Amino acid sequence: MSLFKARDWWSTTLGEHEEFDLGCLCVADVDNSGSGNDKIIIGSYKGILRVYSPQPSKPGATAQPEELILEIQLQDPILQVEVGKFVSGTELLHLAVLHPRKLSVFAVSGTMGTVEHGNQYQLKLMYEHNLQRTACNLTYGGFGGIKGRDLMCIQSMDGMLIFFEQESYSFGRYLPGFLLPGPLKYSSRSDSFITVSSSRQVENYKYQVLAVATDAETKQNSEQQKLGSGKKLTKDWIVNIGEQALDICIVSFMQAASSIFVLGERNLFCFKENGQLRFMKKMEYSPSCFLPYGSVSEGTINTLIGNHNNMLLIYQDVTLKWAAQLSHISVAVRVANFQDLKCVVVTLSDSGHLQCSYLGTDPSLFQAPKVESRELNYEEMDGELKELQRVIREAIKSQGILPQIKEDDLNVTILVSPNLDEIPVTIWSRLAVQNVKLSVCVLPPLAVTQDKFTFAEVAGTSRCVILSVFLKRSFPPAELGGDAAVSYSTQTGIPRIAHCKFSLPLKLVCQQSQPSKNATNKITIETNKPPVNLLALFPDFLGQSDDDQINVLGLKLFSGATTTVLASKTSRRYRVQCDQFEDLWLITKEIVQRLQENFASQGTQDFMCKFPGPIPLLEYFELIDKHFELRLNAEKYKELLSERAVQFRAIQRRLLTHFKDKTPTPLRNLDTLLDGTYRQLIALADAAEENQTDLCQAFTRLKSATQLIVLLISLWQGLSKDQVIILEAAFLPLIQDTQELGWEESVDAAIVHLLRNCLSKSSKDQALSFTSQLAMPKDTSRLKKHMTLLCDRLSKGAQLSLTTDSTQQTITIPGKLTTEQGECSLDTVL
Amino acid sequence: MDPLFMACSYFRRRKFQLCAEICTALLEKNPYDQAAWSLKTRALTEMVYVDEVDIDQEGIAEVILDDNAIAQIARPGTSLKHPTTSQAGGPSPAVRPMSQAGRPISGFVRPGTSSGRPGTMEQAIKTPRTASTARPVTSASGRYVRLGTASMLTNPDGPFIHLSRLNISKYAGKPYLAKTLFEYIFHHENDVKSVSLFHQYFLSFSSIKLFNLAALATEHSQFKDWWWKVQLGKCYYRLGLHREAEKQFKSALKQQEMVDIFLYLSKVYIRLDQPLTVLVLLKEGLDHFPGEVTLLTGIARIHDEMNDIVSATEYYKDVLKQDNTNVEAIACIGSNHFYSDQPEIALRFYRRLLQMGVYNCQLFNNLGLCCFYAQQYDLTLSSFERALSLAVNDEEVADVWYNLGHIAVGIGDMTLAYQCFKLALANNNDHAEAYNNLAVLEMRKGHHEQAKGFLQTAASLAPHMYEPHYNFAALSDKVGDLQSSYVAAQKSAAAFPEHVNTRQLIKQLQQHFSML
Repeated sequence: MSLFKARDWWSTTLGEHEEFDLGCLCVADVDNSGSGNDKIIIGSYKGILRVYSPQPSKPGATAQPEELILEIQLQDPILQVEVGKFVSGTELLHLAVLHPRKLSVFAVSGTMGTVEHGNQYQLKLMYEHNLQRTACNLTYGGFGGIKGRDLMCIQSMDGMLIFFEQESYSFGRYLPGFLLPGPLKYSSRSDSFITVSSSRQVENYKYQVLAVATDAETKQNSEQQKLGSGKKLTKDWIVNIGEQALDICIVSFMQAASSIFVLGERNLFCFKENGQLRFMKKMEYSPSCFLPYGSVSEGTINTLIGNHNNMLLIYQDVTLKWAAQLSHISVAVRVANFQDLKCVVVTLSDSGHLQCSYLGTDPSLFQAPKVESRELNYEEMDGELKELQRVIREAIKSQGILPQIKEDDLNVTILVSPNLDEIPVTIWSRLAVQNVKLSVCVLPPLAVTQDKFTFAEVAGTSRCVILSVFLKRSFPPAELGGDAAVSYSTQTGIPRIAHCKFSLPLKLVCQQSQPSKNATNKITIETNKPPVNLLALFPDFLGQSDDDQINVLGLKLFSGATTTVLASKTSRRYRVQCDQFEDLWLITKEIVQRLQENFASQGTQDFMCKFPGPIPLLEYFELIDKHFELRLNAEKYKELLSERAVQFRAIQRRLLTHFKDKTPTPLRNLDTLLDGTYRQLIALADAAEENQTDLCQAFTRLKSATQLIVLLISLWQGLSKDQVIILEAAFLPLIQDTQELGWEESVDAAIVHLLRNCLSKSSKDQALSFTSQLAMPKDTSRLKKHMTLLCDRLSKGAQLSLTTDSTQQTITIPGKLTTEQGECSLDTVL
Repeated sequence: MDPLFMACSYFRRRKFQLCAEICTALLEKNPYDQAAWSLKTRALTEMVYVDEVDIDQEGIAEVILDDNAIAQIARPGTSLKHPTTSQAGGPSPAVRPMSQAGRPISGFVRPGTSSGRPGTMEQAIKTPRTASTARPVTSASGRYVRLGTASMLTNPDGPFIHLSRLNISKYAGKPYLAKTLFEYIFHHENDVKSVSLFHQYFLSFSSIKLFNLAALATEHSQFKDWWWKVQLGKCYYRLGLHREAEKQFKSALKQQEMVDIFLYLSKVYIRLDQPLTVLVLLKEGLDHFPGEVTLLTGIARIHDEMNDIVSATEYYKDVLKQDNTNVEAIACIGSNHFYSDQPEIALRFYRRLLQMGVYNCQLFNNLGLCCFYAQQYDLTLSSFERALSLAVNDEEVADVWYNLGHIAVGIGDMTLAYQCFKLALANNNDHAEAYNNLAVLEMRKGHHEQAKGFLQTAASLAPHMYEPHYNFAALSDKVGDLQSSYVAAQKSAAAFPEHVNTRQLIKQLQQHFSML
């Protein structure tokens, strides 16, 4: 994140597929030209040594061939290049090149030609040392306070420091506790070597101590010598920094005391010479390289840090002074002076991008991409907007959520065959559709063999699956029907749904049995047409019979009571009787339906069924009470469970405190208590689950009874189809009831609404308390009262209709309504 | 070229995959190569490394089973749980919206912004858990994973280090191996197994291992290595033993002052709900490390959480003096200016972010809003257009549409506003503010039942907002349902006691009631 980018002064790309790292970049006047003109020396892991002398004609120019003054392929990979006074007898700068097994020192010299491209540079090998061990890095300096020449120290991969006094080998020392090589630097002020070891400490070794310590060559015998010789390698000081380091730099400038900079993986440290921390800076990025340099202000040191987010940051001590965007992740950074420009930042990326840049206020390259925009044609857009608004208005008016589809792309058909074994479901699609999912749903206690089918694609053909429905639980169902829904997406990706209802034959749940004479619950249905033979009505049950006139039929619901149907011989009445009130429903409905079908097939138009009344509300209320009691039980179980859970957690917490205690104390039977509570919890959960099953059964029974009541009311009052729909909606609002939103409260609210609006007679009725919040009632007396009232009103001839609904809702709010417009959520960034 | 040297070089350049591959090859040749083993361990750790300071997600289990007794009713201004609502200069909720925890919305999403501890387990489970507010059931659910790295670590032949076979006391004696091993177990092993069923077991197991390792190593170093003490403290912290963690961190701090230790210790105190101690501690840290950005940010965050916006802004400004590219500070100051009615200045801060290369939906959203309030109408819509094109999820789209709706209200185009709010809801049907505003529009149209429904939805989605409650009260009052009006007004007053209109409404209602 930076405002500016580093301004490109000169840049080039080195080689192809070559790798570079920290040691590969060095900046110095290596050919001793004396002009103060730095050259950039770069060695690659492929062994190519290059020397550049950038002289761009204008800032930002690419490299010209003559600026590459030297390029030579060496035999071994180059790990590090350094420039120093490495040759004895002269103070001229020479180039040291570190290979894995060799250290070479070269002299670079140039012969000036008459024209610029006539300049010649040569590399002359001064001397080389072959190394016994694989080298890792190199540091140099006037070890032991020598002036005017540089000695070299190589750290090997296995932790040996190898010292060379220019052309001659002096000695080698093992670092104690070594595992992996860290950065190594020589500090001339204290004449010591500083490294960061694998135990994450900055360690300082005096050159003196190293020189007199046990020789590395005799390390094999060091076990024996350890006791005797007092020349153990000791550290001058150590500082634990708790992380590995990337690089170390030791600087001493005029304005500030000499300090040791350590670039860790997450922090930048600055130490005094004696190992005291001067300051540290926690970095919120991963650094890649750094370089301290002198600052203009007194007592501070500037640091250049490159990081893995392509940034170059400049700190004055710990304060960020400048941040610039680079075009690459730099692995090495140096500051160089060139002919016409001082202090150029030279950075090298690991793929060989070499850049000389300076800081400037060029904005960072980032440009927000343009939003796709088209030529604006206002007239067209106006038209489009109007059209869209018309569509929206219509959509709002019609209140329908889904647009009406004229023709379906896909059809589902279900043919229920009378043999009950298999129900074929056929999906037929006109066009190719994708992602077709068929789900078949029946309400418990019925179940299907497989309820979900998935097809990847249905294209212009039909698919057929076969399933069967069976009775799973031991109570009769509330309805003999099911739903099949298919969800699919069209070619354009619009999701669609097609669905289809199916009804199952009565035979699925009952069989013929011995009729019983007496039963507690009886329902009589009158018709206005002569009675029909039961044989004609129930051919599927009475199949082959000798009698041609049957008046009595016993039907036993599986896992239910026996229902008896009696048809009067003379009067136009039918009677259905059963011991269980709710079991009457399926049979009654079947009779009414079959009667209607029968007469419709005979071509009779004005067939009417009638229920003489009164509505058997008492039996119905019993069922409501039973259902409600179970709900109360569920509530009780829930409370108990949460109580026990609280207790359980309290005990857990106690135990935790006990275990955490430093001095172990007896548990004081807390574990037994925990165990007991746990068992209680499980038992309660089991009971609650059982209650849930019972509740499900009770709700199914209640649903049967409710449907029966609705049927009876409609027969009783001869309600029209619309009115029956309203009534059904009021009585059966839920497919399934839950603890939060149960049947009782929703029905109560619906009935109260009906009573207040379309069934109200006087304004007094509007005082009927109407709770805005649907909550579980305390008892069912209110509901019962309202139901009775509803029946009463209906019997007195009130009309069920919703058209009068809005008459009382015309109070408008005058203009000034103080409203809080919410707020603008000013969003969070990042 | 020496392979180990190459591996080191790759490690330096953060090419951990390459580094691990070379080390694996080396280890195949020589399984007892400690250097390669150590380097591979480090590379694997570094792949999944997340700064422990930045992680602070409290899971439900941690919250509930936390047995550190914390004063339930703290004195005002000493607790993060009950921040004082009306500090001098703090914005009122009428101006600055609240987050779900009842704090003003902050300008920057950072770990723990949405905290706010639920009272009981039941409450915690029942609180509406939309995608944006979901709290993990336990913090051990592998949220430490950086995306896209865990998959790389699937090892064909089992885990790299078998923790169960580790002879910990052997490693504790070797400082150069032990630290690497510890970090590996702490960062790496904690998340690879996050999905498995055995996770809980495994976590406790590895924690114990970690713990043993740290404890043993501390002993080995004769209690002189602050690093091990910090690690021990980190383990204690993860195990929820905050007091013990505090002890370790303090002891480490005595040995050597480090920025990280201050931050860890402040985390412990935040968990212990002692914001004032955190402030003292961080200021002490600043004495040692003047101008340390992380410490300054820590102080600013605490002030922010305590609703002391003025001080928070002061510290954020200090942060910017030290590091003028700090996105968090710029964003927070910007949003603060916006909510204190200086959209032009906020605009400058956001523009700065844009110039720095932040390029996302939220920024353009904020720019659009600032432009609108600063009356630069020409840029408003194009900013929102960009925000829409940059939105990555439905919540962001919803927020942009919501703000667009707001602007439509501002320019008086009610149809557009209606459609915008509808679109906001279509993208995020938990958007309580959109429900509220939609209700207001419905009210204007005279659809009171619908308005009521929307308001109730808004109130149930965001019980901390006072607007739906107040609107509901006002509406009920108008249609004569004084009882509901009174109840809703009470709720509104509870959410925002200083709201003048609510107070007036209650007073008026009380007069009505006394007259009756």
